[in-house]
Amino acid sequence: MTEISRRPHSEKPDPHWVEWATGIVSAVLVVAMLGWVGYEALTDKDGPPEFRIAITGIGPASGGHRVQFDIINLATRTAATVNVRGEILDGNGSVEDAEVVIDYVPAQSKSSGALIFREDPKGREVLVRAVGYSDP
Amino acid sequence: MKPNHPFSGQGKKVESHVSTSLQMNDGNHVSDPRAFVTGLGRGAAGALLFGVPMLMTMELWELGFYIERYRLLILLTANIPLLIFLADRVGFERTGTLAEACRDATIAYAIGIVMSTAILVLFGDIKPGMPISEIVGKVAIQAVPASIGALLGRSQLGESNDSQDRDEPDEDKEGNSNEEAVTDHLSTRYSQELFLMGVGALFLNLNVAPTEEIILISFKMTPWHALATILVSIAIMHAFVYAVAFQGSHEVPEGTPWWHAFFRFTLPGYVVAMAISLYVLWTFGRLDDVGPMQVLMSAIVLSFPGAIGAAAARLIL
Repeated sequence: MTEISRRPHSEKPDPHWVEWATGIVSAVLVVAMLGWVGYEALTDKDGPPEFRIAITGIGPASGGHRVQFDIINLATRTAATVNVRGEILDGNGSVEDAEVVIDYVPAQSKSSGALIFREDPKGREVLVRAVGYSDP
Repeated sequence: MKPNHPFSGQGKKVESHVSTSLQMNDGNHVSDPRAFVTGLGRGAAGALLFGVPMLMTMELWELGFYIERYRLLILLTANIPLLIFLADRVGFERTGTLAEACRDATIAYAIGIVMSTAILVLFGDIKPGMPISEIVGKVAIQAVPASIGALLGRSQLGESNDSQDRDEPDEDKEGNSNEEAVTDHLSTRYSQELFLMGVGALFLNLNVAPTEEIILISFKMTPWHALATILVSIAIMHAFVYAVAFQGSHEVPEGTPWWHAFFRFTLPGYVVAMAISLYVLWTFGRLDDVGPMQVLMSAIVLSFPGAIGAAAARLIL
């Protein structure tokens, strides 16, 4: 009974022009999005994750010295559980190493983290690199 | 029933009990406070019903202390006009004036805060030794969905009499608008409809956006999957409202091509769901330092539940 007597909410025989304008703008947006994703789909090279790591800061931390870094994934595929290892190198080899696992480095995106060493990296070479990852 | 009771002694006892409760029922109709308390109870039940999935989500507890405070502030502030709109539309009771809608919205927010605090304390997620900013953050972020739930609970758990009462004036309004063909009035109804879709999308988004699964799904998808997800979301949205004849379903007038409603409601609705998805992802810090394609992918994933929420809001509210 109620359903029959109840009028439909807003559909009218001749809608206001604003409704059409909104509809057209929305259609343009949706088509543009489909176009972008479609373009990505067609040109997708689907290469494996490529990392670039940059040290952004070295400073004191409780219990040692903190080395902060950014890790950028240049590829169009996301990497999960990325293992990042850092080493402090002396003239005659590795003095100390530290490791951290980063949950995700999304495709063409940046994540950041930090390693904590006991030795002071000042005046020595610090090498930070990704040693492995898994596919999400 | 009672006079035929074989044990007369007990029968009397029951009778006296019944008569007192009847008096209480009479009081219910006459005195405002009792009806108001019932309304509060329904609000609390709604806050629980709609809030529990989020109250039991680990990521949302964590967000409570690491979410950037200005983003939390924006979310909490944006919730206020949203609640006022909902209070005006579904409310604890028929609200005639804006002031009444504001009052109901405030009460709903308070119910949301109280229920969230109570449940988080119950789960041992809030403990005395915690820093105050962590407690406030946890409660605040949960209060948003819980307060929406409090308002929805009132409309969905209310008696059927209430909803019929609500419908009649609505029909009168529409009848008037049809006769006078007031186009301005029509466009406000249209914007309300879009706003309502936004609320539905926001509600379902808040449910799922904090979880890691959303970004994980977007990482697993290829652009082809994303294309299919967009099309499926739009199709579901359209089908939900127009093809499936649920109660409250929107009938298209005779002779109107299907694409009229598709352009005027479904596509704008999807764009609204998409915008809400982006906003929620940004609020939860899921877009920080993420490439544009990944931003789009996770928004597409989140728009899938968002589209369902938006379509459902049009059906239910």
